[in-house]
Amino acid sequence: MKSDNFLHHFFFKVLLLFPALSVCTGIICEPRISLASSQNSVMRVIEQAQSPYKDSSVESAFPIFEETVLSRERYQGGTFRVLARKGKLDRSPCSACHTDTEVKAQDSARLTHGDIVLNHGQSGALSCLDCHSREQKNLLEDREGNAIDLDHSYQLCGQCHFRQKSDWLGGAHGKRVSNWNGERVIFNCTTCHDPHSPRFEKRFPATYSPSQP
Amino acid sequence: MTQDNNDKTKGSRRNFLKGLSIAAAAGSASLVTGCLPDVSEASSETLKLKWQEFFKKNYRLMTAAEKEETVARLERLAKLQNDREVRIDTTPPREKVLFGYAFNVTRCEGFMECVTACIKENNLDRKANTQYIRVFEMEPGQLDPSTGDGKYYHEVPVENKFYMATQCFHCENAPCTKACPTKATWREPDGIVVVDYDWCIGCRYCQAACPYYGRRFNWGKPDIPEDEINPRQHYLGNRVRPKGKMEKCTFCIQRSREGRLPACVEACPTGARVFGNLLDPDSEIRFVLKNKKVFRMREELGTDPKFWYFID
Repeated sequence: MKSDNFLHHFFFKVLLLFPALSVCTGIICEPRISLASSQNSVMRVIEQAQSPYKDSSVESAFPIFEETVLSRERYQGGTFRVLARKGKLDRSPCSACHTDTEVKAQDSARLTHGDIVLNHGQSGALSCLDCHSREQKNLLEDREGNAIDLDHSYQLCGQCHFRQKSDWLGGAHGKRVSNWNGERVIFNCTTCHDPHSPRFEKRFPATYSPSQP
Repeated sequence: MTQDNNDKTKGSRRNFLKGLSIAAAAGSASLVTGCLPDVSEASSETLKLKWQEFFKKNYRLMTAAEKEETVARLERLAKLQNDREVRIDTTPPREKVLFGYAFNVTRCEGFMECVTACIKENNLDRKANTQYIRVFEMEPGQLDPSTGDGKYYHEVPVENKFYMATQCFHCENAPCTKACPTKATWREPDGIVVVDYDWCIGCRYCQAACPYYGRRFNWGKPDIPEDEINPRQHYLGNRVRPKGKMEKCTFCIQRSREGRLPACVEACPTGARVFGNLLDPDSEIRFVLKNKKVFRMREELGTDPKFWYFID
């Protein structure tokens, strides 16, 4: 009984439908393209999804242990956190050396900060004091003279790199830490970029692909 | 014995097979212990577990209890056969989650950190050098990776070239799932296209059906250094595949279903990879779709991939 059914199915499908289909596609030639704009396309699904996703059950699954600070900017109406910077600096706080007393040692600038290569923007365009504050050594300072904390350097970077900053705020530049869900914690500008030499160095790839299609 | 089995067949075919499998397991175990005096208790347990594994259902038809049983068997087998401590999850999809991915072709600099992270995370075969992700070095103006160089190995990035990576795009209208004759591959409710490795017969129809070269075949027994095995596994994800099965990117199902980012996203040093919930209007992926210039590869095929490329 089953095999009869199968044979019937087979004859109907292969012997009748296939030539019929190939004739149809030959004439119309369009069914594949119309699929893309079908009712169930993922774009339609996305358009209809407008309520924010909240599921606290996964939030605590992978806590982030790195030091973070609450950002001073807003993200789509909400707050978010960024990775802290100050704890990662070798010589922090700056005021440990930069006190009120003037440093008079011979060649002291080169001996203390000689490892810094300034390769940011066109050569010679920027100097230390374009970003660092002259008076408050622990802070940065933007073009308008506002003091900016080292943990919130995005406020300073954004004054020139405003397009990158708006992408970063939204999530098209930079990246989240560990989790796609839960409280938003993202990389700071200086987590990835060396502020004195922000371009990534050229290097060999981590691996290679021996076979390709 | 035959009388016994006849009685069981009255119940159902499955009961019969179960009876047979247990009888055979017991029989073969006693046979083995009889022939080889130094065979331990462990190897008869291995045989029994293997028999029981052979008669399990397709993952989609399993009840929660059956899933637990198979996972317990697989974990025990890993311990018995390879002395590996693994944990295999069957974490289900979450409600109101549809995973999507975006790739920034302007940002990618071809370092291939994503590829190495993927290999380690997903227990990929080191001997055959299986890779789910492919990175192509492309000429400006080109958008089809088949025009690019996928085998480059020199200092990157090269001036006036750009880099574009491909992997499984987790199509909403996935051709691979339709090609499978054993229904061993399907789209999960959270949008991830998965493979049931124990139902795959290795015919590779899905590989032929995929227009993006997203699927890989296990030609041999996976070769992974014992200290590099990732013990946190998922039944549909990175558990060590048997030989002769299809496999592919699962958006790191063992990570993403627990709220974590896939290994490639976490490893990317340039932030070229964006992953998130397409149904959440506040997610990064939705920001990209709304505010950036995006395109999908071979969109005209109607496969509706959930993987977008974008430029700054």
